[in-house]
Amino acid sequence: MLGRLLHPLIAERRTLAGILAWIGLGITVGFVVIAILAPIIAPVGQIAAFTYPVNQPPSPQHLMGTDSAGRDVLSRAVWGARTSLEIMAIGVIIALSVGFPIGLVSGYLGGWIDRIMVLIMDSVYAFPGLLLAAIIAAFIGKGVFNIGVAITVIYVPLYFRVTRNQTLSVKEEPYVEAARSLGAKPSTIMLRYIAHSVVIAIPAIFSLSAADAILTAAGLSYLGLGLEISTPGDWGRDLADAQSFLGDGIWWTSLFPGLMIILLTVGLSFLGEGLNDMINPLLKKERA
Amino acid sequence: MLLILLTVVFFVLRVIPGDPITALFEGRASPDVIAATRHALGLDKPYWEQYLIYLGQVFTGNLGTSIGEYYRGQSVLAVVLQRLPATVELAVGGMIVASLVGVTAGVIGGINRDKPADVAVRLYGTIIFVVPIFWLGQILQLVFAVWLGWLPAQSRFSGLDLPTHITGLYAVDSLLQGRIDKFFVAIQHLILPSLTLGLVLSGFFTKTVRANLLRTINSDYVEAAKARGISTGRIITRYALKNALIPVVTVLGLQFAILFAGAVLTEQTFSWNGMGSLLLLAINSQDYPVIQGAIIVYAFIIVIISVIIDLINGLIDPRVRY
Repeated sequence: MLGRLLHPLIAERRTLAGILAWIGLGITVGFVVIAILAPIIAPVGQIAAFTYPVNQPPSPQHLMGTDSAGRDVLSRAVWGARTSLEIMAIGVIIALSVGFPIGLVSGYLGGWIDRIMVLIMDSVYAFPGLLLAAIIAAFIGKGVFNIGVAITVIYVPLYFRVTRNQTLSVKEEPYVEAARSLGAKPSTIMLRYIAHSVVIAIPAIFSLSAADAILTAAGLSYLGLGLEISTPGDWGRDLADAQSFLGDGIWWTSLFPGLMIILLTVGLSFLGEGLNDMINPLLKKERA
Repeated sequence: MLLILLTVVFFVLRVIPGDPITALFEGRASPDVIAATRHALGLDKPYWEQYLIYLGQVFTGNLGTSIGEYYRGQSVLAVVLQRLPATVELAVGGMIVASLVGVTAGVIGGINRDKPADVAVRLYGTIIFVVPIFWLGQILQLVFAVWLGWLPAQSRFSGLDLPTHITGLYAVDSLLQGRIDKFFVAIQHLILPSLTLGLVLSGFFTKTVRANLLRTINSDYVEAAKARGISTGRIITRYALKNALIPVVTVLGLQFAILFAGAVLTEQTFSWNGMGSLLLLAINSQDYPVIQGAIIVYAFIIVIISVIIDLINGLIDPRVRY
């Protein structure tokens, strides 16, 4: 299964989409390494409040300066990678494990169940996701896990749509027809025959929703609905804190956390768009 | 769609923990007072009964009264309508910036296919799309307000002498009053927020315009126009771009959801008193009626916009028939 998912990455490594995907993968893996090594790169001592003089501009000791609470901006940024990736992983994996099966069953069964599911999912999809996530986040409370759960509301409809539409086209394929006429149970057909083909579309959509999840989580934190104040790294909150000191020309507390968000999301979207180009035969034809 | 969202929000608000009455008194009231207030507000009834009462109210245009600490007792509809113009102003400004920048960049990319300019445009389209909107706002504030001092960084207006309330849109109101000076103040305040919101949205426009332009440039009718010796500039504007914009209008509808989400963050960055900041205030004081009211108004606007876009589509594309 994993080999099948990774196959396009290796087969198309010399096309533009392939290069894009590899750059994206490189950036993403880089961030994962930073996140794992955070305790070594930036020991907790450096992110405790008032360890250093406040609002110092970047210098050899503090490459990104210090913030209004006397913390090293670089260390905060490094820990932020860990927090962001944690929230993203929780949110996107839950969304996938809810949206994928519902989409599969809904698309396969069809009929009124499918129509109702599509109606509900489309309504949620058409609404500003951040607002729904903000409402849920405010009520279930702060914390990495809770924010991860809150943002799933945005991505469940996304996985549902992609899975359902793929299922609709795959279920008419002759090999599925053959399985059905051999008397295979619906559950066997869905799991063994359809899911196998539908899953190809997932890595691309996974990376793109991961990029969006990083942005949404940062947005929630920025609005003050995200994480507890004690969280060692939180890019959204760092930007909210930076806001009050912008008037004094303190740019480093705003610039660097923002660049971290952009770099990680750019990495994930390059990966996603590269994969998308590879698996979409229509685009491929156009390119040729 | 409206009904489904309403239902989802209604039950989500009630199923997840947290209680507006407790939040209201911040734990300083006796259980009796809490129970009495809960009863007076109808929150002690079963959920399905609350839901039916609520639906009945909504369909008669009554969005209820606020129970939060900021607007307690005020009509939700009035509170929301008071905040709506600021958000409309920001949304219109953002859309103008997004379409100007997006169409220009998309055309540059489309006519220079695979040249460095096109690669730059495609990179721009991908990267600007993932720039956190509040961060872009801060950087623009820093450059244009703090360092250069050209534009104001915060709020919708300077001074206490606000334009008289006619439409609620400051720029329009000051023009209606014939006060050009106030008009310029309002516009100055609008530039940075619109730029912030518009630039982030322009990534999508850039990509869509570019992709559609590539399609129309390769079509037979453009080929025919070339054969007749029509100048390249004229071919692009009159033939290729005109047809390339039709599908852009269609997908425009989906962008409004992103626009409103972006507006919430932009409002926060620029202290812009619109619907977004109202929703945040309501969320923080667990004001169910105002949250529900704001969601309804957002959903209502999105539905109206998608209907309008369908109609526009019928007008500009003769192939569409209803």
